[in-house]
Amino acid sequence: MVKYNPFNWILMILSSLVLLFILAPLAGMFLHTNGKEFLETVSDKEVQQSIWLTLWVSFAATFLFAFGSVPLAWLLARKKFPLKNIVQGIIDLPIVLPHTAAGLAVLGFISRDGFLGKAADLIGLTLINNPAGIALAMAFVSIPFLINSARDGFAAVPERLEKAALTLGASHTRVFFTISMPLAWRSIVTGFIMMFARGMSEFGAVVIVAYHPMIAPVLIYERFSSFGLKYARPASVLFIIVALAVFILLRLISVRRKEIHLLPDAEA
Amino acid sequence: MLKLENIYKKLGNFALSGISMDIPEGEYYVLLGRSGSGKTQLLELIAGLNEPDSGEIWIDNEDITNKKIQKRKIGLVFQDYAIFPNMTVFGNIAYSLRCRKFDKKEIDKKVRLIADELNIAHLLDRFTHNLSGGELQRVALARTLVTSPKVLLLDEPLASIDASLKDDIKRTFRQLNRKGLTIVHVTHDYSEAISLASRVGVIHNGRIIQEGSPEEVFRKPVNKFVARYAGIRNFFRAKFVEEDGNWKACCDGNLAFNILPGSYPSEGLLIVRSDAVKIQCSEPAGDYKNCFKGIIKEIVPSEFGMELMIDAGEKFYVDISANEFKMQNLNELSDVWITFPPEAGIVLQGTG
Repeated sequence: MVKYNPFNWILMILSSLVLLFILAPLAGMFLHTNGKEFLETVSDKEVQQSIWLTLWVSFAATFLFAFGSVPLAWLLARKKFPLKNIVQGIIDLPIVLPHTAAGLAVLGFISRDGFLGKAADLIGLTLINNPAGIALAMAFVSIPFLINSARDGFAAVPERLEKAALTLGASHTRVFFTISMPLAWRSIVTGFIMMFARGMSEFGAVVIVAYHPMIAPVLIYERFSSFGLKYARPASVLFIIVALAVFILLRLISVRRKEIHLLPDAEA
Repeated sequence: MLKLENIYKKLGNFALSGISMDIPEGEYYVLLGRSGSGKTQLLELIAGLNEPDSGEIWIDNEDITNKKIQKRKIGLVFQDYAIFPNMTVFGNIAYSLRCRKFDKKEIDKKVRLIADELNIAHLLDRFTHNLSGGELQRVALARTLVTSPKVLLLDEPLASIDASLKDDIKRTFRQLNRKGLTIVHVTHDYSEAISLASRVGVIHNGRIIQEGSPEEVFRKPVNKFVARYAGIRNFFRAKFVEEDGNWKACCDGNLAFNILPGSYPSEGLLIVRSDAVKIQCSEPAGDYKNCFKGIIKEIVPSEFGMELMIDAGEKFYVDISANEFKMQNLNELSDVWITFPPEAGIVLQGTG
């Protein structure tokens, strides 16, 4: 129960202003979109395809990169190794880079002159203007969210539980899959959702790698720059609704798992 | 059975050093030490969670120093049990059997058998987050024993258990040991050592400083540290002198105690067990070798009844029963006479 002293009033007013700052533009956008325009946008094939592309490419990027990110997160949480802080800094790098710069970096990597581009070329795949290239750009800017969240999750799993499993005859792989992963599951899923959501909303890096096929943020930008605010708004509203629905759905799935109480490791 | 030879392991600023132990089959060995003395690290070395920098670990004449942790046949019960919270009690106990690829029917049979033995069969389908300390301890024991270990390592197994349940768990440990299971139990509580151990080792700063039967260790502690562990509070810095074949301990506070003849250093520490010191309200009749008048300075309730601090030129701590305390009508500042026989005095070689 919050007591209404002057300090609490100031906190509430400042907090409300911040919430208003987030909600007001979104509410404005919803209120300025009329139903007819919105329904037309819903049935617009180009918009539908664009949103679908955004969702599945971001999901695929998150899913595929999780195979490397989750073990890396475990290593960061559990092992001491030289230059660990530098490795952690490298992981956080995409968060601080301007996203257009990140896009240029990915472009250099996946273009026909780049290492990955050349390799893809060998199997007849062009990554630029291709969903695979979009996935790489999305993953590049969003992967820290998964790694950092999973790392925090693994760090919260008491090491003695893993040790106990080892003494009971489990292999390191078995310990990882039966103890570490299930106990860090909530953080891993949260990181997965954050990476997916961040990838889905990416514009700067993706637009440099692939203008076409158009993901939703590029489509919205294209409609805005070609036809103006009024024409871009219904697509934005639709994309926000779909993104929110997916986000809520994934959250619901993740919180359905039983709450597990973890005691921290006792001091030696 | 279990043999450690000159184990050395550096752990940051701390090191386990020169650890040698020889524990025969069926022994209940209690390793006693303060927190931070290296007890848990030593258990982890035996279990295989860490490898020693030097030295060897043998089980049944097999060198297991570098053997894989999964193949050692050593069971370790952690201090706070380390029960897997994502599994039911059944899942916890079955874990090691699943690792060893037992078939489903056999797992079910073995789990139910051990659960019956430890009186936790009714808990098998429950998750572990609302089990009591005693129940968790039994689950941890069952989970370890189901693997039929050659040696059971217990890390402070009674530290997180309600006092009322401790006797139950101790009885279980005794029964397991009586069935022939070799147990190494580490604790900071000397009363656990007295009630359970067939042999005691005292570890301090990564070294085992004394080893022997509980009687030997607690009656003849090698230094002040061990003596404190044995609950001894009467320490006197003294010079040891011989007069006509009789030995005296001359304390800094001018008191002189008669002690048994022996070969003593010129100076050192004398300890006197509190339970060997008797008090009387009036001057005792008879020939007492050690009899001193003092004043009661402090009266504190203790697990034995009352602990009195008496100033007789040196400070004495004396335990008496609550009944005796009432009968003698003792109060703070009462005059009393304290007596103890020469054999109650034990000379420590060092002053540490």
